[in-house]
Amino acid sequence: MADDRDPRFVPIKVQDGFAVIPDRWKVDFRVSAGELSRFYIELKENARLMGTRCPNCGSVYCWPRSWCKDCYVDCEWVEMSGKGKLTLCSRVEISLSDIQKEVPFFQGGVHLDGARYPVVVMLRPVEFEDLHVGMPVHAEFLPSEERTGRIRDFYFIPDE
Amino acid sequence: MNDRVAVMGVGNTPFKARHIDKTFPRLAYESVKAALEDAGATKEDIGSTVYAIYNDFFEHCAMPDLHIHYQLGLARKPGSRITCGGATGGYAVRAAVAEVASGMHDVVMVVGVEKVGDVANVFDMVKSITYAADPFFEASLGASPAGSYGGAILWHMENYGTTEEDMARVVVKNKGNARNNPDAQSPMEVTVEDVLGSPLIIYPLKILDHCLNSEGAATIILASEKAVGRFSSDPVWITGVGASTESGRQAERDDAGKSLFPAVRASALEAYEMAGVADPGSAIQVAEVYDSFSGVEICLYEEFGLCGWGEGVQFLTDGRADMGGSNPVNPSGGLIGGEHAIGATGVYQVVEIVRQIRGEAGARQVPHVTRGLAQSMGGARGAYSVSIVVEG
Repeated sequence: MADDRDPRFVPIKVQDGFAVIPDRWKVDFRVSAGELSRFYIELKENARLMGTRCPNCGSVYCWPRSWCKDCYVDCEWVEMSGKGKLTLCSRVEISLSDIQKEVPFFQGGVHLDGARYPVVVMLRPVEFEDLHVGMPVHAEFLPSEERTGRIRDFYFIPDE
Repeated sequence: MNDRVAVMGVGNTPFKARHIDKTFPRLAYESVKAALEDAGATKEDIGSTVYAIYNDFFEHCAMPDLHIHYQLGLARKPGSRITCGGATGGYAVRAAVAEVASGMHDVVMVVGVEKVGDVANVFDMVKSITYAADPFFEASLGASPAGSYGGAILWHMENYGTTEEDMARVVVKNKGNARNNPDAQSPMEVTVEDVLGSPLIIYPLKILDHCLNSEGAATIILASEKAVGRFSSDPVWITGVGASTESGRQAERDDAGKSLFPAVRASALEAYEMAGVADPGSAIQVAEVYDSFSGVEICLYEEFGLCGWGEGVQFLTDGRADMGGSNPVNPSGGLIGGEHAIGATGVYQVVEIVRQIRGEAGARQVPHVTRGLAQSMGGARGAYSVSIVVEG
């Protein structure tokens, strides 16, 4: 049975004559999304996937970046279509994450239409064998009441 | 490099899953003491120290280097810390080489240490690594390091027909090599079938395809050419250092042709150019490389130019990477059989190549080594990489 006590106040253990000191780090954050805020707000409130475009070279970035790393000018917001092609897929059988606990789950790379780089996202195939690199996929969003403004709010499925 | 840089001393602790009898400063101290004795030096000879310690969580301390440095009796002398994921050790060696080559210090020590097992369980250990993900987007997926490497391996399978059996052969080789390394954590006689039958984590990677999590320390002592005479050991030279980076996001890569690990490729080419290596297949007589996962090692043969693109499996099955092959890879056992005390790894790789060149590698000695390669990488799919050419 798990011991839920704060380890910092649990007595030391002695193992093979050596002391083992239970300890814990716990840090909560309040992260400023700053210039990237619109991405999270549009995702949570309107189920829109936003990217940015460099007005100089035309590169479209999603995940968005507020400046172009090549041109060093500020980018402008654009809405992504949510359509793209699968570039990688993996089936996770043992989760080592406390964010995704249910296994198996599927993650992969998707190259969104028009975007310069692929992104890593959640996938929801019926079967892993249904996924093939290069296949067209599109984003589906969780219902409004389930969205939290993280990229877990959407997942990609193969086009019909 | 302005000045030539010699390795005058090497030392390490044994590597284990758990050193319950030692703290991380003690592990560091033991490797430092061994390296000083190896060089015929004392701590008073050390002008500056670079610490290779990857992750604050493993030492449960955000400035672990400070708490080692003072206890080594090195207060009032410069000490700094490098942290670059799995390439922490390689980047620390590079920083120390720069301190010597620039003429800033004649004698610089690199101390790599990690105490991975002090994290209470493997889930929290991996969680602490996932905190390296892009904090604004991908971190919220809870993706693990295995996923980032898995994508590259899947590409290799789809494009070159590499199989899970091929990858399992890397595990058989590296855990087998570890049997000749008394400091290795996981010497094992395993079969391809054992590997294929071990539990799947992320397709196609199984538990035995994974690198180890280790505790331990490694130290090297570098000296300028004019300071070499202060030591009792024979110099071994660092003749090439290459370092590179990529996006810290898993899938974000600019086109790199057939290179699956562009930062590795770039770091190798830079190191080769500095060392004057034109034909790696004949020049690199032994290599200690970052086999974070079995299939990665197959990709690395190609990235290092030990064979052509898509020829990694052939290179392996021909036995060229085996002990007794043309280019033995990971005679220490690598990260799969030897150790992966993360910050220490890139330092220990140099320790091993130095021992191979000196002819001090015991049962795992590769005959007549005059030149070897050490390479470490870290971050999502090798986003940091350092390649180091070492010569006798």
